[in-house]
Amino acid sequence: MKSFLYSVLIISVLILFGCQSKFPLNKDLTKQSYKFFNQDSVEVTFPGFIKGKTAVMGFIYTNCPDICPMTTHNMIITDEKLTEEGINDVQFILLTFDPDRDTPSVLKKYAEVRGINFDNWTLLWGDKENTDKLLIRFDVMALPSDSSYSDDGELNYYMIHTDRISLIDKDGRLRKNYQGSKVNLDELLNDIKELGE
Amino acid sequence: MTAVLTFLFLFIQVSENIVVKDQWVRPGAKGMGTALYFTIENNGSEADTLYAVTSDISDKIMIHQTYSKGDMIGMKMVKEIVIEPGKAFKFEPGGYHVMVMKLKHDIKAGDETEFILHFKKAGEVSVTASVAKN
Ligand SMILES: [Cu+2]
Repeated sequence: MKSFLYSVLIISVLILFGCQSKFPLNKDLTKQSYKFFNQDSVEVTFPGFIKGKTAVMGFIYTNCPDICPMTTHNMIITDEKLTEEGINDVQFILLTFDPDRDTPSVLKKYAEVRGINFDNWTLLWGDKENTDKLLIRFDVMALPSDSSYSDDGELNYYMIHTDRISLIDKDGRLRKNYQGSKVNLDELLNDIKELGE
Repeated sequence: MTAVLTFLFLFIQVSENIVVKDQWVRPGAKGMGTALYFTIENNGSEADTLYAVTSDISDKIMIHQTYSKGDMIGMKMVKEIVIEPGKAFKFEPGGYHVMVMKLKHDIKAGDETEFILHFKKAGEVSVTASVAKN
């Protein structure tokens, strides 16, 4: 009897950890709805607008010249690889955590200069309140640091932030987080394919 | 005449103590920022210091370092970079970068952009950086 219980325990632990290592999260994002605007200043509801699609979501600010472009580029390569394999139903999202400076038109320019295709990419801008609420949902932190006024009286600041790409399944559940600038692309690709099945 | 000039040019290149190579810049839109990366080799017998970078495409260029704090990431200004003799110093993604703010025009993949690196001993070193895809 004792050994039977041990077996059950061991198997449960294996199943639990087995699942956890693949998709450690299962957070239903559809319980709340947030108002955002896309790169064309058109209102979109998150996560409503991605319903039925697997989504890859990156968190950025456009005055970030080093880390955020790496995160963005990792998503672009992922999109290219999926397209090569004939997978076209994945939605890519970039959310700014610097809504004061990253207006929809700024976000659009950031995307255009990188050749991003808006058919399956959406850049999201929200007011401070909605942005903060969504960041908390995703456990993403972003704080201004090192601010200074330049000669022309303009406020300059950098941000210290979580380096993040998140994977959301077709049912609007957050399933896994990755380090945005250093994500293992094969891992992300395999996870997307597995969720898409 | 051309041969002499070519020879002189080669001579000047070879005799430089400071060599900047593998330079590239990320794409960026007018009014926004981007980052420049390169490797500096100090082939001289004394240390040299990079203290500024200038370019026609921006009036606001700084040397920056990316750092992490727990699982958060940020960047900060660095006053100067000392390159020891016989050593190379790399600016690379996730580490040191030259922060180019408020671009005067768009730069896109395939474009080329000129920068001048200012060293305490070697003086001005011009580089042409090609714009990468990312
Ligand atoms: Cu920087």
